[in-house]
Amino acid sequence: MIIEKTRPVANPLVVLREEFDDWAILFDPDTGKGMGINPTGVFIWKLLDGLHTTIDILEKLQAECDNVSEEAENDINDFIRNLSEQGLVGFEVKGG
Amino acid sequence: MRIMSTPRSLDLDITNYCNLRCKYCSHFSSAGDVNSDLPAEKWLDFFQELNRCGIMTVCLQGGEPFYRKDLPELVEGIVKNRMRFSILTNGTLITDEIAALLASTRRCDNVQVSIDGPDAPTHDVFRGIGSFSKAVEGIEILRKHDVSVSVRVTIHRENVHYLDKIAQFLLEEHGFPEFTTNAVSYMGLCRENTGEVQLTVSERTLAMESLLILNSKYDGRIGATAGPLAEAISWMKMEQARSDGKGEYPGGGYLTGCNGVMDNLAVRADGVIVPCAQLSHIELGRIGKDDLKEVWQHHPELKRLRERHNIPLSDFDFCRDCDYMPFCTGNCPALSYTITGKVNHPSPDACLRDFLERGGKLPDSNIANLS
Repeated sequence: MIIEKTRPVANPLVVLREEFDDWAILFDPDTGKGMGINPTGVFIWKLLDGLHTTIDILEKLQAECDNVSEEAENDINDFIRNLSEQGLVGFEVKGG
Repeated sequence: MRIMSTPRSLDLDITNYCNLRCKYCSHFSSAGDVNSDLPAEKWLDFFQELNRCGIMTVCLQGGEPFYRKDLPELVEGIVKNRMRFSILTNGTLITDEIAALLASTRRCDNVQVSIDGPDAPTHDVFRGIGSFSKAVEGIEILRKHDVSVSVRVTIHRENVHYLDKIAQFLLEEHGFPEFTTNAVSYMGLCRENTGEVQLTVSERTLAMESLLILNSKYDGRIGATAGPLAEAISWMKMEQARSDGKGEYPGGGYLTGCNGVMDNLAVRADGVIVPCAQLSHIELGRIGKDDLKEVWQHHPELKRLRERHNIPLSDFDFCRDCDYMPFCTGNCPALSYTITGKVNHPSPDACLRDFLERGGKLPDSNIANLS
């Protein structure tokens, strides 16, 4: 069976705490650790619902913001990988 | 002024009741001393609102939090709503069962137990007979279950002469990594027992010197954000700055002594939202009725408290001609309120000039490295 990790999903235990207009904290109450994220990070976080792929997120980001760079897909992947390494994000698993 | 969309933390008086009546308790005989406790359901509904607001931590206090029989239910509600918590306690009602529950949540940051002496006679003198042995037992139970425990020592007229023994008891005999200190303040029941419990000027001088010496001996393992140790450090820096002819401190010369209302709120045992447990007379709303986010962002009393930072000390006759003004922040608004009846006033209790004029002495600067 091939396991495909395509649709990231936010850990439901993690709190998105939007502090000011442009910044937020992802707070993991089990560890007590917080991670600061910028507005783009907040935008992405809200799409980590197990329904959207990285490409879906990129398309939504391009629709929402001007001048999204060519490297944005890599940046999104890096961001999600970082979150995943910290236990803040998992993946909807598709078996094949 | 930019403020966060919601507070980061809340202090919750989950009960008005306590099994002790410590003669310097800041709660009783204050506006926080209300007639009733909210039922658990009201708190549990409120915790859901805190979850929606992204509150990270709550501090359970009172009264005595362990007095509530339904504390496990409240703790469960806190955990379920994605928060961490800490508890302030006299330590006398802690059982194996509740300690095990706290440990099992893995969300308890800290339980702070009050220990005011190295032995029962010193601790119990103002807290009541038997409270020392029960508090020490409570600490041992918490530690057995690997719950993080800290100790707060409130300095008063009886224990001020035994600070060395207290440090030895806590740091050497019980192996605490550190403990924190405060002093009896002119709040709550202290106002009825001032002469008996509150440090005189000479005792305050003694406490400052003793704590600095002990902190040096124990490599900085004694902490304080208020009380004689904090005052010693702050006042010695102010004196140094004055004698060096320095211009001013960041925030100095204005009522900048408190930042609490920038990230924290409190709730009384009756559900009334207040800026701080020590400013419990300022009623901002009621949980279950008023929207916390709305209160936080728009209540005029909170706005006024936040703008306190813009009030220069030169506005007050109390500060007139004071050489320390550029380095002074006016300190605690709650203490100012209980002493002067005004929140927007420097706290007379924190006035270095007044302390010196009444015969107080700063510790020798060689005692502590203030850098």
